[in-house]
Amino acid sequence: MGPWGRMLWTLLSGPGGRRGGTQGRVFGSWPPHPPLPRLLNPTELVSHWTGVFEKRGIPEARESSEYIVAHVLGAKTFQSLQPALWTQPLTPQQLHCVQELCSRRLQRMPVQYILGEWDFRGLSLKMAPPVFIPRPETEELVEWVLEEMAQRPPLMEAQDGPWILEVGCGSGAISLGLLTQLPKSRVIAVDREEAATRLTCENAQRLQVQDRIWIVPLDVTSEGSWTHLLPWGPVDLVVSNPPYIFHQDMEQLAPEIRSYEDPVALDGGEEGMDVITSILTLAPQLLKDSGSVFLEVDPRHPELVSSWLQSRPDLHLSLAAVRRDFCGKPRFLHVQRSGPRCSCPADPRPEPQPA
Amino acid sequence: TLLMSALGLLRGPAALARVCSGPWGLALGEKRMLLSPGGAATALQVASKRDGPALLPLDESELEEQFVKGHGPGGQATNKTSNCVVLKHVPSGLVVKCHQTRSVDQNRKLARKILQEKVDVFYNGENSPVLREKREAEKKKQERKKRAKETLEKKKLLKELRESSRNAAVGRTADADSLPGSTQA
Repeated sequence: MGPWGRMLWTLLSGPGGRRGGTQGRVFGSWPPHPPLPRLLNPTELVSHWTGVFEKRGIPEARESSEYIVAHVLGAKTFQSLQPALWTQPLTPQQLHCVQELCSRRLQRMPVQYILGEWDFRGLSLKMAPPVFIPRPETEELVEWVLEEMAQRPPLMEAQDGPWILEVGCGSGAISLGLLTQLPKSRVIAVDREEAATRLTCENAQRLQVQDRIWIVPLDVTSEGSWTHLLPWGPVDLVVSNPPYIFHQDMEQLAPEIRSYEDPVALDGGEEGMDVITSILTLAPQLLKDSGSVFLEVDPRHPELVSSWLQSRPDLHLSLAAVRRDFCGKPRFLHVQRSGPRCSCPADPRPEPQPA
Repeated sequence: TLLMSALGLLRGPAALARVCSGPWGLALGEKRMLLSPGGAATALQVASKRDGPALLPLDESELEEQFVKGHGPGGQATNKTSNCVVLKHVPSGLVVKCHQTRSVDQNRKLARKILQEKVDVFYNGENSPVLREKREAEKKKQERKKRAKETLEKKKLLKELRESSRNAAVGRTADADSLPGSTQA
């Protein structure tokens, strides 16, 4: 076996595994087939790493290999790679790069963190642990908000508007998804974590919308923090994908999530409602009369939120609509004001009695 | 994207097996508590910028969409990267599979756009604007090729003429060489 073959063998062997025990030393007698006499092309390389991942119990073995190989070759997906490249061997440098990235996948790092970027509604966003990775469902939250906005011409025709507050911006996905589609909109994006506000800022600059977004480090669950937002005046929309996982479910999360993403961005407390209720509590103080709240939630929340709102008539909010995600699960809530904004001295409308 | 006649051709053991009927595929009698998925469909209703009418719009109720199995609890509790969308037009049986982008949302829209074209061709055959545009484009391409060939031949001919006239001139000056007092370059 010549020098190329030796290098190739090393490159393709992968690391022996970070830990010992059942997961380590899989490569002791690997590869089972004779050494490869030549450099692999993308298709072969994907098959190879898919096999490696499957042996190691890595979920989405094929998808992970495809994304990594495509990324090294400059494409976003394997399917979008030029067909001419499918049979062209990779250079040793490229192979080395693929191996580096795949070794991180063997550590269960999410693909989005491995690549350092991911797409949300066609926007390319930088990703960096531990900032929460945007989920595909959330693309539909943005879609819903855009549909709603399209039905309110006054909002769209205003010189600057609509005004939007995003709670828990993370990488900035929701805010930037809206800003890029609503050319006159203005966004105040808040997050309690500095890593998130920094990443949102970076992504806003990437997309050249930094002049229409204010990014504020803020924890909406802490007492009175919302008063810091008053200077911007009432907003048309509050939108959020707040941490909504039930605390007891946190330990069942896949290693990708548990070991790499910020638990603060996921844990919603006992019933996953802690941040949701904080948002709904501050909403009346920050929303215009015709304002709306759009939330992504756990499928168990529509009922819980509905009951909770009924237990808080002082907020004058009601659940206007529930929308399902692409898997048919009730995932998104539209909450609206059901009364006047300010507490008027003589409220003409009596409070509706619960059924 | 691939046009397939059977979903069974999809690769991998974990391939699409679960039908996620999406917000528009609710069981009969179940209350529909949501807006119609206007987003995905409205992306298609733009008439072609060029001449020609818009394609037959797709009816969402005639579509079946599939996403990769094993989605788990979904939302924050899951980190999935398999954003492949398989879209079937039930009346015609046409299927489109799209994994062009890393965005489920974009793949759904693209899948609809491509399926819309396939469906239009399916029902309109040769009359479909899709095929008509293709033929136009091909025709123009052939014409351009033809013209380019003709231009090349003309140039060749011209070159040959110049060469032969130069040779003739050289022949004449060679004779003149022998005359005294002639000026030569």
